[in-house]
Amino acid sequence: MALSVKAPTELRLPVPGDGPRAAVRGSDSVRRMDAPGWGMVDDGVVARLRAIVGAEHVKVDDGAVAAFARDATPLYAARPDVVVLPGSTEEVAAVMRLATSERLPVVPRGAGSNLSAATLADAGGIVVVLTRLDRIVEVDGDELLAVVQTGVTTSALASAAAARGLLYVPDPGSKTVSTVGGNVATCAGGLRGLKYGVTRNYVLGLEAVLATGEVVRTGGRLWKDVAGYDLTRLLTGSEGTLAVITEVTVALVPMPPATGTGVAYFASLADAGRAVARIIADGVVPATLEFLDRKCINAVEDFAGLGLDRDAGALLLFGDDGASDLVEQNLSRMARSCEKEGATGVTMAREVAESEALLAARRCALPALARLAPVTVLEDVGVPRPRIAEMVDRIDAIAARHGVTVATFGHAGDGNLHPTAVLDPADEDAAARTKAVIGDIFDAAIELGGTITGEHGVGAAKLPWLPARLGAEQMALLSRIKTAFDPAGVLNPGKTGSVFEPGDDGEVGR
Amino acid sequence: MTGDDEAAAPASGPLLDPAAFARVPGQVDTGDHGAHARGIFDVELLDRCISCGFCLPVCPTYALDKDEQSSPRGRITLMRALESGRLEPDDPVLQHEASYCLGCRACETVCPAGVEYGPMLEQWRDHQWRAGHGPRLARWLRWAVERRAMLRLSGLVRRFARTRGPVSDASPHVMLGCAERALFPSVSRAAVSLVPGADAPAEQGCCGALHAHNGDSAGGRAMAERLGQDLPGTIVTTSGGCAAHVAEHLGRDRVAEISDYLTRTGWAPAGRLMTTGADGKPRPVRVSLQDSCHLRNGLGVSGQPRELLERIAEYVEAPSAASCCGAAGSYSMLRPRDSKRVLAPKLDEIEQLGVDYVVAVNPGCLLQLKQGLLARRSRVKAVHLVELLIRAA
Ligand SMILES: Cc1cc2nc3c(=O)[nH]c(=O)nc-3n(C[C@H](O)[C@H](O)[C@H](O)COP(=O)(O)OP(=O)(O)OC[C@H]3O[C@@H](n4cnc5c(N)ncnc54)[C@H](O)[C@@H]3O)c2cc1C
Ligand code: SF4
Ligand code: SF4
Repeated sequence: MALSVKAPTELRLPVPGDGPRAAVRGSDSVRRMDAPGWGMVDDGVVARLRAIVGAEHVKVDDGAVAAFARDATPLYAARPDVVVLPGSTEEVAAVMRLATSERLPVVPRGAGSNLSAATLADAGGIVVVLTRLDRIVEVDGDELLAVVQTGVTTSALASAAAARGLLYVPDPGSKTVSTVGGNVATCAGGLRGLKYGVTRNYVLGLEAVLATGEVVRTGGRLWKDVAGYDLTRLLTGSEGTLAVITEVTVALVPMPPATGTGVAYFASLADAGRAVARIIADGVVPATLEFLDRKCINAVEDFAGLGLDRDAGALLLFGDDGASDLVEQNLSRMARSCEKEGATGVTMAREVAESEALLAARRCALPALARLAPVTVLEDVGVPRPRIAEMVDRIDAIAARHGVTVATFGHAGDGNLHPTAVLDPADEDAAARTKAVIGDIFDAAIELGGTITGEHGVGAAKLPWLPARLGAEQMALLSRIKTAFDPAGVLNPGKTGSVFEPGDDGEVGR
Repeated sequence: MTGDDEAAAPASGPLLDPAAFARVPGQVDTGDHGAHARGIFDVELLDRCISCGFCLPVCPTYALDKDEQSSPRGRITLMRALESGRLEPDDPVLQHEASYCLGCRACETVCPAGVEYGPMLEQWRDHQWRAGHGPRLARWLRWAVERRAMLRLSGLVRRFARTRGPVSDASPHVMLGCAERALFPSVSRAAVSLVPGADAPAEQGCCGALHAHNGDSAGGRAMAERLGQDLPGTIVTTSGGCAAHVAEHLGRDRVAEISDYLTRTGWAPAGRLMTTGADGKPRPVRVSLQDSCHLRNGLGVSGQPRELLERIAEYVEAPSAASCCGAAGSYSMLRPRDSKRVLAPKLDEIEQLGVDYVVAVNPGCLLQLKQGLLARRSRVKAVHLVELLIRAA
């Protein structure tokens, strides 16, 4: 069941269909929750939800819930029974109390831009959409922080900070659409990971609603705080399985006065991999260090026509920010490091617009690949930085072995790779072979001391491989933590933390 | 096909075998991506969306409700469920969203996957508003603009520009538009004077954009083609919406929206427009623009009207100039309440800009802005671009 990865025998993997919807998959017109364990979303529940959030913010019609059947993850869909859009923390709390007392699955949802089927309502139940909580509470330039409600988009927060001369660092490729709450819940990364870290490094405090309805405030306007377990960090990356985040306090940094970007081309990805190691060995910790393989370069060039070198085997995008003379210095040092490792060409962006165009080349990698076929399956493995080139070689070999087109791009500085399978729909068993490719890629990443997901999260899509990454002891610990937060197991079942013990009569989320 | 037939299981399976990706075969479904059963949509168009959600932040209806269902991605998910057969063909949410969508195509401009939402919406409305379905008013409107006699009649009452005699394909022809000739006759008169050598043949029908956007794309195409015969050679129009529709069917080289035409032909004003400031001294007229959605998002014309305005006045860009004003063709008539909800924040913004005029490049937008500003007793006036240009000519 764990596909190509061997699951520890004593753990049974969560089975989405074991939930209330087991019997109804495929016949969505009759939605019932009849499996043991789960409660029913019946007229009474709907009436109570309407009383909590207002009738116009509760959706039960076929069409209305159908729109929430999926997120940005291809090949996964499941319709919830009811969708609610609460307008305040109190409303979220009341919904959670109801869900726990009636034992109804709850899937928190921001913008639904995640790539791991993390908002898949595969046990049916309630989808709680948090986009109405979209107020920027404050941006404090003296304290270098901002407080926002969970549904504010990453870009809106970044613009509000920029208006005060400040930078909100995390910048996932999806920032115009993704919510800050979603970013925290997935611990989103971005293009600045190596020098600046990822979302978790900028979350100072959270307001969150527990499954049982209590509202907790973790952390605060504090840069140092060791009172108790670090719940802020625990909730960061918890993918909606432990609590519903309603408000976030984030750290900001002064806007760097200058940024600069350059691009180096290499004959092969192995050369680019060595250049990455060389850059860091030569003493620069760049703000940006991204790579594209040849297939990505060509896809991006077809799409955006930025004038990239189509013949190169790999492209390395490097950049830094800070005081302008330092940026200048670091850029030329990085260019030299690339040349030492055999770069076939190096170009520097002379102005901001050029710099933006180069960054756009990296940001549009996925969409550009997506234009090649109706379905692309994007993965997100991580390996220790020195092993990137080795990992890319393995990916290429695996893809060739299974006869699947896989293009790879990623965050070279973070050791985070996005191998992307481009599926030809005319090819009958493309999906089966892609599954095999993904399994082999995960195996390879783990073998190289890496991980099955660097920034996109586990969601429903990668849960089958989680035991192979974490081992039985950690899996068990995760599920005990889950139980402590969410005794009824209602929060985002079928994702991280959900484990089915054999013989528990279909009890979910224990 | 009866409703029951249509609700039955899809004839063709999904694009990819769902079982291959399910953790337990048959338990996770792959959604309706790639499942084509009803033949309502162009397969290639519908498959292209990757559900990334990049279109959410620019969608005016999503901005109002923050609800996936009323977002471009949500609507495409709904279209897929309709196409695959998993939603009833006349599901009330399908009906609602097909008409709640403004059709502004802002979603296309940010879509990384190159989804052509406009044509998909036309196909959707063809189905949703097919015979016996859809808003009755939409049917009446389609009927009205098809009546050439009525269009001619409106000329007796309103003095729009029109020229008689043989129509040659050497001179540019000003399109009279069906709504515009009745509502804003001075617009076509100004256009004819601005375009050297232009005529405005009296014998010309409606371009069919209204049909295409209101559930009859085949009718819309036929009318555009007929207009192409009425007006051989270059067609110049003062309506961004008509320009995009006609260009789609006759080709871009046959049609030019007026600001596009005037910038290309190097129109130069005689001087700048001045007015008297609060201090009694002369100052340049201050203007702002409201883009026409189809002109900007469909034809990519957005710099041209700004360029012209900068030549004759002090131009102030409104932050939301590019987003829909809520007129959206016949939308303001079909959904007056939603239309006003879309318009309200824009009027707040315009009033704060401190401009004398807000300029439209489409008759629908012009009417929408005029009515909205009038209702507020605003100081700001709405005018068509050519009405200002002619004063500076
Ligand atoms: C084109 C594209 C590019 C992307 N680029 C990047 C990238 O560079 N880096 C990166 O890390 N990711 C990237 N992503 C993935 C995705 O955008 C991120 O995971 C993002 O953080 C999700 O935010 P969201 O608001 O869409 O959350 P959703 O997708 O709605 O939810 C994601 C998870 O968070 C949970 N959740 C959401 N809100 C809350 C809340 N308030 N409380 C509790 N749980 C909650 C959900 O239950 C779910 O488990 C990309 C996605 C796309 C489509
Ligand atoms: S931006 Fe394009 S691909 Fe992405 S969800 Fe919207 S329509 Fe689909
Ligand atoms: S056409 Fe306009 S209103 Fe309709 S989905 Fe696209 S952006 Fe939204």
